[in-house]
Amino acid sequence: MTPVLEVENLSKSFGNVQALRSASLSVAPGEVVALLGDNGAGKSTLIKCISGVHRPDAGLIRIDGRTVAIRTPREAIDAGIETIHQDSSLAADLSIARNLFLGREPTRLSWLGALAPMDRGAMQASARTLLARVGIRRALAPATPVSALSGGERQSIAISRAMQFAARLIILDEPTNNLGVEETRGVLRFIREMREGGHSLLVITHNVHHVLAVADRFVVMRRGEVVAEGAVAGSDVLGIESLIMGVDLKAGAEA
Amino acid sequence: MTATASRAPSPPVALLRRPQIASLVILLLVLVGFGLASPTFYSPRNVGNMLAFMPELGLIALGMCLLLTAGEFDLSVGAVFGFVPCVVFILAQGGTMGIGAAILVGTALALAIGLVNGLLVVKIGISSFLVTLATMLMVRGAALYVTQGFPLDSWRAPSTVVTLLAGSFEIGGLRVYASLIWFAALTLLAAYILNLSKLGNWISAIGSNRAAAVARGVPVDAVKIGLFMAVSALAALAGLISAFRISNASPVAGTNYELEVIAMVVVGGTALTGGYGTILGTIVGVMLLRAIRNGIIMIGVPGLAYTIFVGGIILVMLIVHAALRRAGGQG
Repeated sequence: MTPVLEVENLSKSFGNVQALRSASLSVAPGEVVALLGDNGAGKSTLIKCISGVHRPDAGLIRIDGRTVAIRTPREAIDAGIETIHQDSSLAADLSIARNLFLGREPTRLSWLGALAPMDRGAMQASARTLLARVGIRRALAPATPVSALSGGERQSIAISRAMQFAARLIILDEPTNNLGVEETRGVLRFIREMREGGHSLLVITHNVHHVLAVADRFVVMRRGEVVAEGAVAGSDVLGIESLIMGVDLKAGAEA
Repeated sequence: MTATASRAPSPPVALLRRPQIASLVILLLVLVGFGLASPTFYSPRNVGNMLAFMPELGLIALGMCLLLTAGEFDLSVGAVFGFVPCVVFILAQGGTMGIGAAILVGTALALAIGLVNGLLVVKIGISSFLVTLATMLMVRGAALYVTQGFPLDSWRAPSTVVTLLAGSFEIGGLRVYASLIWFAALTLLAAYILNLSKLGNWISAIGSNRAAAVARGVPVDAVKIGLFMAVSALAALAGLISAFRISNASPVAGTNYELEVIAMVVVGGTALTGGYGTILGTIVGVMLLRAIRNGIIMIGVPGLAYTIFVGGIILVMLIVHAALRRAGGQG
């Protein structure tokens, strides 16, 4: 089966710092891949290259087997890659409906370009449908500003926005960061539902327990390189943590 | 979970919490108060005077409202307000070109100043406060240099363009300037852009969370540069209207206007830090500061003391907005 995403030998430097060294990974259709690594391992740089925020110095990105040039966030979105960046995917002053369609507002009189009026009826209607599907417990109007939502509700809105546009690949950057226990559970349940819905996901996380709970496969980065990968089935917390830190924790624990 | 915690306020209370509505209520109180305190406040002469002055700062305020909503400042507008009419008067009076062509050159100059402001902010990444502080000095300096520091000869030649910008007519003893029509039309346009258009959604999103807007593929840099150019062009238009109305261009015209315009916009409820803008509030702010300037003199406050009141009332408005935000429950 052709992978949804293939990244081949991606490299990126910022001045003297080489953030990515020939990193490669792939995500199969309907697969949840966890991207792991300590701070500074290059995870964020890698996903920013895939989502068009950074331009890689070298390497290839293929979507469904086709090589794509991703130079801007717009091109990534058009290629079917939806990214939910850490703490930065929603504009808090804007309503839920306006956030859901940010950058892709449905318009009437579209020949007016950026000055075209937004089709607010359509936006409100889609937002209402989506809010019902997300399963946020309290009743929320599409006109509610995002600033009035909890962290978990915001994350749900960001994730549902990615689902709504039927993306080929959804990238989540630390989706459970700063969330409470109940909200974290909600996000993990959401990831499972998305996989059942046939989406492919690439999830960055620090929490190995979450990896075991929702991922099919994990990829470990260290100092800009992909150093290990494996199936989640048959792995355990200590084993994966050893790979992240580059030391054998099990040997230490047994000694 | 109890229902009391998240119960929404009843509609009238919710409406009052919107900053522009609170500003509107205060404006109405101020207008009624001045009317009661001074019998001449609603005389055709004073109303006509207020309506003549209002569009000049108001036009700049419309652009500034959109720019602040996108999270940027422009301190160079007052200098542009003074500089562009000087250039236009010099070109037209020197006989090198007609007044229409001179106005086109002046407008192009304003757009270029806005472009430079925008490029420096967006591409080099310097804060707009610092960039426009520097360009303000350069533009004001240029105005002083090209005029050698003196006001220019007054403009007397009648022409269609001048009538369009600064003509006036009388309705029932009330003198109405053409600038009021410009102001009304551009107000509607600005309100449409901010509230209903796709561009308006982008502007608010950029000011609210720039990274989110970038990640959604919004052309953030182009929008910001465009807004800097628009506010600069509006400052030039306002400067020309003012210069033609009084038939005079002075290199020091518009001094401190940048701060007064920002005060008008913020008093109306637009967030100084971006993300939330209101054109209705901006109009309220423009009217409020104008009414206060005229009204305070008319109720007999000594001329030299009146800026104390202007500053005080701005402060009161900002306190009201801060209190409303806290009452909004977002901490």
